[in-house]
Amino acid sequence: MGEPPFLVVQNVSKAFGPTRALDSVSLAVEKGTVFGLAGENGAGKSTLIKILCGVHSPDAGNVALDGRPHRPRDTEEAEKAGIAVFHQEIPVCPNLSVAANVFLGPAMPRRGIGPDWKRMNGRCVELYRSLLGEEIDPERLVKDCTAAEKQLALLVRVLSREARLVILDEPTTALTPPEVARLFAIVQRLQKQGITFIFISHMLEELVQLSDTISVLRDGRNVGVLRRGEFELQRLSEMIAGRTLSRTAPRNPLRGGAPHMEVKGLGLPGEFQDVSFRLQRGEILGIAGLQGSGRSALVRALFGAPPAATGEVVVEGRPVALATPVQAMAAGIGYVPEDRKALGVFHDMDVKTNVCMAGIDRYTRRGFLDTPGLRRTACQMRDGLSIKMQSVDAPIRSLSGGSQQKVLISRWLALKPSILVMNEPTRGVDVGAKKEIIDLILGLSAEGYTFVVSSSELDELILLSNRILVMNRGRVSQELVAGEATKDKLVLAATT
Amino acid sequence: MESTARARLTAIQRILRQRDFGVLVAAVLIAAFFSVITPVFLTPYNIFNILRQTAELGIIAMAMTILIVAGEFDLSVGAIYAVTGVVTGFLATRLGLDIWLAATAGMAAGLLLGFLNGLLIATTRINSFIATLSTMMVFRGIAMVLSQGQPISFKLDFFMDLFGRAEIGGMLPVPVLWFAAWGAFAYVLLHRTTFGVKVFATGDNREAADLAGIQTMRVKRVAFLLTSLASGLAALISLSFLKTVTPTQGTGLELEAIAAAVIGGTAMSGGVGSIIGTFLGTFIMAEVRTGLVLLGTDAYVQEAFVGLVIALAVIVNVRLSARRR
Repeated sequence: MGEPPFLVVQNVSKAFGPTRALDSVSLAVEKGTVFGLAGENGAGKSTLIKILCGVHSPDAGNVALDGRPHRPRDTEEAEKAGIAVFHQEIPVCPNLSVAANVFLGPAMPRRGIGPDWKRMNGRCVELYRSLLGEEIDPERLVKDCTAAEKQLALLVRVLSREARLVILDEPTTALTPPEVARLFAIVQRLQKQGITFIFISHMLEELVQLSDTISVLRDGRNVGVLRRGEFELQRLSEMIAGRTLSRTAPRNPLRGGAPHMEVKGLGLPGEFQDVSFRLQRGEILGIAGLQGSGRSALVRALFGAPPAATGEVVVEGRPVALATPVQAMAAGIGYVPEDRKALGVFHDMDVKTNVCMAGIDRYTRRGFLDTPGLRRTACQMRDGLSIKMQSVDAPIRSLSGGSQQKVLISRWLALKPSILVMNEPTRGVDVGAKKEIIDLILGLSAEGYTFVVSSSELDELILLSNRILVMNRGRVSQELVAGEATKDKLVLAATT
Repeated sequence: MESTARARLTAIQRILRQRDFGVLVAAVLIAAFFSVITPVFLTPYNIFNILRQTAELGIIAMAMTILIVAGEFDLSVGAIYAVTGVVTGFLATRLGLDIWLAATAGMAAGLLLGFLNGLLIATTRINSFIATLSTMMVFRGIAMVLSQGQPISFKLDFFMDLFGRAEIGGMLPVPVLWFAAWGAFAYVLLHRTTFGVKVFATGDNREAADLAGIQTMRVKRVAFLLTSLASGLAALISLSFLKTVTPTQGTGLELEAIAAAVIGGTAMSGGVGSIIGTFLGTFIMAEVRTGLVLLGTDAYVQEAFVGLVIALAVIVNVRLSARRR
């Protein structure tokens, strides 16, 4: 590689008010390679990307693309220079066909005043073959496609417009493992055709698997570059966090005695069947499984949202009905949902109302809303869980993702349930907050809270659980006790 | 620590951060504008007159605000307003029932229609625009059939004084008192009770509210009952003041009520809104109408102006709330 690198970023800085988002960052990306970018939320990854694609302009420093200075004034200019970005949310027109989504824009082939569907469909099939090596039905509507297929359509779309540098920003969050493998194979194929990639992911295994070089950002600085061969998960996570994620959290012995919760033969057609388990007080039950294994539907059924069709749940010796969230709450069950934004947070409300929303009727005094009571509970939770915020009267939107997640957990603690069901408790929070939430769950279990935790992060499950159930195609395929659960065993039980 | 953080804001900053501040400024500016041009504008008589004229709309708009905050809206309020009036008139004049009994039956009929709206939306989960568009036409039809398309006139009664005609101290028209009482009720309900919190939660994030154990369908059904109750009350005020009801009364009232709420800063997407804002929104619409009349403006131009005010208010509000974020 004698020629100069394809993309050179030199001493780029960017500040937003008092916050230094980027502090003299330099990096170089070789043509036809995959450049991994790692770092916590707020480490500066997004700012760097936004500078490359013309959303922000740097305060200082230079960027060169293919030997020429690159200073796009807007996203359109960056696109013309050959830079394309994939965001977490994929913008597509769901009611149009794949071919229409690929060609949508001023350059859409026309015949007379209408679009030339025949040519578009033909070219779409050709592009899929030559670029991805895949077959496609170009007339299929995008809304009938899976998340992975939508992504591929977008990839073809940008490549048909001669993108030379494709930025993949967390492309795998919505994908199942086989889909991830397929995407990676396609990226490697495109790499050989001379396309350069910048790959951002929270999943270190994925970064290691796909990247030729990995650069780690922390607090706006480039803290190090690793080349293929030097990759090591432990070292990477240390570089990202600036500290080690403890692997040996103290686990409290169970008290024994009568089971706290008993689930017998729970089933929901099309989702899961014949799930049974017993939980002791203070026990943490982990539930592992791929997307579509029935893992998520199972934990939702424990909160009646929606309920299971068959089976029985017994709490503290009494059979309980779990047809609605209200009934589940009456049985002492709380639920932290998998999607914080869509299912958890009330975006236009303040912190204290968000904390106290479950069982809000308890905050009534002489018929009126007991605002001091709300504030008291919220302060208690803020101090107890050390949630970072300006004040409990601040809007919930002003909190970081990790703090919002803690607010959702505290919503149930305020109600003093005895069983907490959690679905993806650390999704979308950074490494530091992840550790705090894990410690919080461990601490609460020591206080006597019983947990059912469903997660796609195996490390987290191994760290937390007294026992792990592995779901596979709607059934429990294996049950592993704390000491014997390893990642290999979990993956094996979930995928075979 | 909590109190120090709050004390750090000066009183002025706290007022500026209030959602309703922008609407209040607009209401004051419009009042100032008209009182400079026409000296009669800023007299107690005129202000009370504005409030009396707008009391019916305001009462409905405040209930509509609660419904919009909960994430739905009701296009049938104008028709319910007509049905309540016509049922009352039909029973009182054609069947010779006592006016109090007739009015109670009229209110009950209105509440029944509100209940049906809620039921329709809860069971079929149709979008409330479509659902109440259809019930609006059905309810209007009921009013037409009952009255055979004819206006119904009443004999004067103490009832009329109580709801529409009396002027306390020769000055304060009684509809203004009803407006104030209903406003206080709606304010407390939306901003000072747990029901109000549930209304905001339902409109803010319906699924999250369900998962927090809030019965969002019940919240919405209660809100539909409230808009029908408000329509009924407004209908009684109208028939008392005019001593007559017509089956076509209240046509377009639903859109004016929504407009007043929107001028007051209520978000059509739900989860954001305030009773004070809606009160000010109603007031602004009435101010503009009355001011233009006092200026001697052509009646046909007035509607166009009100339309401009709505657009302007929403643009300003979107800008302001974008800055707050």
